[in-house]
Amino acid sequence: MTHISPNLVPMLVVAVIALVLYWPLMYLANIPAAQRALDTGAVLPCKTAVECATQLRSPVLPSPQQLWNGFRNLMFPLSSPNAIPINAVVTALETIVGLLLAAIVGFFFAIGIVASRAFERSLLPWIVASQTVPVIAIAPMLVVLLGQYGVQGWIPKAIIAAYIAFFPIAIGVAKGLKSPDPLSLDLMKTYNANNWQTYLKLRFPASIPYLFTAFKVAMAAALIGAIVAEISTISFQGIGKMLAENSRASDVVAMWVIMLSSAVLGILLVALVNWVERLVTPWQRAKSVAAPSSKQVRVPQGEGVR
Amino acid sequence: MMQSNTPNAPTSSAHAKADPIVWVQNVSMVFQTGTVALKDANLEIAPGEFISLIGPSGCGKTTLLRLLADLIRPTSGTIQIGGKNPEEARKSRAYGYVFQAPTLMEWRTVLSNVMLPLEVMNFPAGERKARAEKMLVLVGLEKFAKNYPWQLSGGMQQRVSIARALAFDPQLLFMDEPFGALDEITRENLNLELLRLWRETGKTIIFVTHSIPEAVFLSTRIVVMTPRPGKIETVIPVDLPQPRTFDTRETAGFFNIATEVREALRKGHGYEVTE
Repeated sequence: MTHISPNLVPMLVVAVIALVLYWPLMYLANIPAAQRALDTGAVLPCKTAVECATQLRSPVLPSPQQLWNGFRNLMFPLSSPNAIPINAVVTALETIVGLLLAAIVGFFFAIGIVASRAFERSLLPWIVASQTVPVIAIAPMLVVLLGQYGVQGWIPKAIIAAYIAFFPIAIGVAKGLKSPDPLSLDLMKTYNANNWQTYLKLRFPASIPYLFTAFKVAMAAALIGAIVAEISTISFQGIGKMLAENSRASDVVAMWVIMLSSAVLGILLVALVNWVERLVTPWQRAKSVAAPSSKQVRVPQGEGVR
Repeated sequence: MMQSNTPNAPTSSAHAKADPIVWVQNVSMVFQTGTVALKDANLEIAPGEFISLIGPSGCGKTTLLRLLADLIRPTSGTIQIGGKNPEEARKSRAYGYVFQAPTLMEWRTVLSNVMLPLEVMNFPAGERKARAEKMLVLVGLEKFAKNYPWQLSGGMQQRVSIARALAFDPQLLFMDEPFGALDEITRENLNLELLRLWRETGKTIIFVTHSIPEAVFLSTRIVVMTPRPGKIETVIPVDLPQPRTFDTRETAGFFNIATEVREALRKGHGYEVTE
C-alpha cells in the first residue's frame, strides 16, 4: 500500500462520530448508577455523580478510559491462557475449520439442489427447519452426542460453526451454479459437452463469485456459532469461554472488551475471505474501475428492417 | 425450388447443384404454446456459400438456425447437415455457433476462451494453444490474448467469439445476429472482416440478421423470411462481385438487391403496417 486507502477516511470519521455520540450516552446511563453508589455511602475515589460515572466498577456503559484499560489488561501477556490473543486464535481456528467443513457440505448440497428437483423438494424443508433451531439449544446436545464418540475439545465447536454456516453456502452456491445464462449453456451443447464438462468449465467457475459472497455471510455466522458453542458447552479456550467466565465474575468492562474484540475478529475473518477472493478471482480485479461491461454495450441501435 | 425475382442469377443455381451441406425439407416448428415458429421450410445450401436469413422478429430465422444446430428439434420435416441428421452433426462437431451475445467466460483470458471448445473436445494439450493463437491472428486480436473479456469492446468480444467458433475447424459457421448489439460503424468494419475470413477459410456461413444492408453486403444468397406463421418467403441471389469492399455499398447493384429484399419482405407482411 503506497497510498492511504480511500476507505480509511470515512471509517475514521464514523469512528470519531461514534465516540462523540457515545460519551454523553455513557454519562446519561451511568449517572443514576453513580448517584445510587454515592447514596449507599460506599468509599469511592470520586465525589460527584458526574465524576463517578466514568469510574464505576460495574458501569452500565463503560467509559472509553475504562475500555482502554480493560483492553490493555486483557491483551497482555500475549501468550497468557487468560488473555484475548490465544483465545481469539482458538475461536478463529474453530470458525475457519467450521467454514471449510460447511463449504464442503454446502457444495454437495448445492449440487444436489441444482441437479435434482426431487432432492431440493425433499431435503430443503428439513434444512430450513434445522436452521431455525437456536444454536444455544442444539450446541450442548451436539457436544454430548459427539462426546459419545470421543470427539471433544475444539472440534465440536467447529462442527457447530459449520452447522450454521453451511446453509448460506449451499443456497449461495446453488444460485451460482444456476447463474450461467441460457446462451452459455447452449454454447456448451454445441460443443457436445457432457454434464461433467458443463459443470467443470461453466457452472463451477460461474459460481465462484457467489461462493465468496456466501462465504462472507457464512463466516460471520460461523463465528457467532463458534462463540455460542463455546459459551454453552464446557470450554477451556476461546472467546466464548472468556465471555462466560467474565459473565460469572460480573466484570462488565471485560465483557465489553471481549465483545469488541470478537467484533474485530469478525472483521478480520471477513477481510481474510476478501483477500482470498481477490487471489482466486483475478479476472475481477479492477473491474469496477475500468471499461463498461458487455451488458452496457448492448444498446439498441435502431437496426430494424428499414 | 425457390423462384428468384432476378433474371440473371447463374452463380446461385450453380451452387445449388453441388452436394448440399445443409438440406432442409418441409421443416415445421410449433412451440408448446401453439405458436407456429416455422412452417414448411425448404432450403438447400451448397458448401462455401454465405447465406443470410433475414426477416423481422418472429419470422423464425433464429428458430431455423437453432434447428440446424440441434439446439431444438423440429415438429416435422427433415434436416441434414453434411448428410447427417442434426444431432449426429452436432455430436461430430460439424459447426461452430456464434450467438447474439459474445458469451465469453469472464474468468478466462481471451486466449483461454478460444481454447474452451478444444478443451471440451479433448484436443491434445499442445495443439490447443497453437490453434487458439492462430485463430486470434485470424481475427486480429493476437495482442489481446492475455486480456480478460471485460477489457475488450463489444466488437472485439464478438470477434473473440468468432475465433472460438472456428477454433476446432468446423466446415459450417452459424451466426445468430452476431453484430446486432454493435454500433453501425463497428458493424460495417466487422462485416468486411467477416467476408475476408470467409474467403480465407472457405467455410459455409449461415448468418441471421435483421439488417438489409448487412445481408446484401455479406451474402451469396439471402433467405427472406416473414412472420405469422414464420416461413421462407423467397431466396434472393446476390451476384455482387467478390471481394466486396466499402464501395460495394455505393453501387447500383447493391441498391437493386436491397430494394428486392425490401419488396419481398413487404409482400410477406414482413413490415408492420402502421399508416
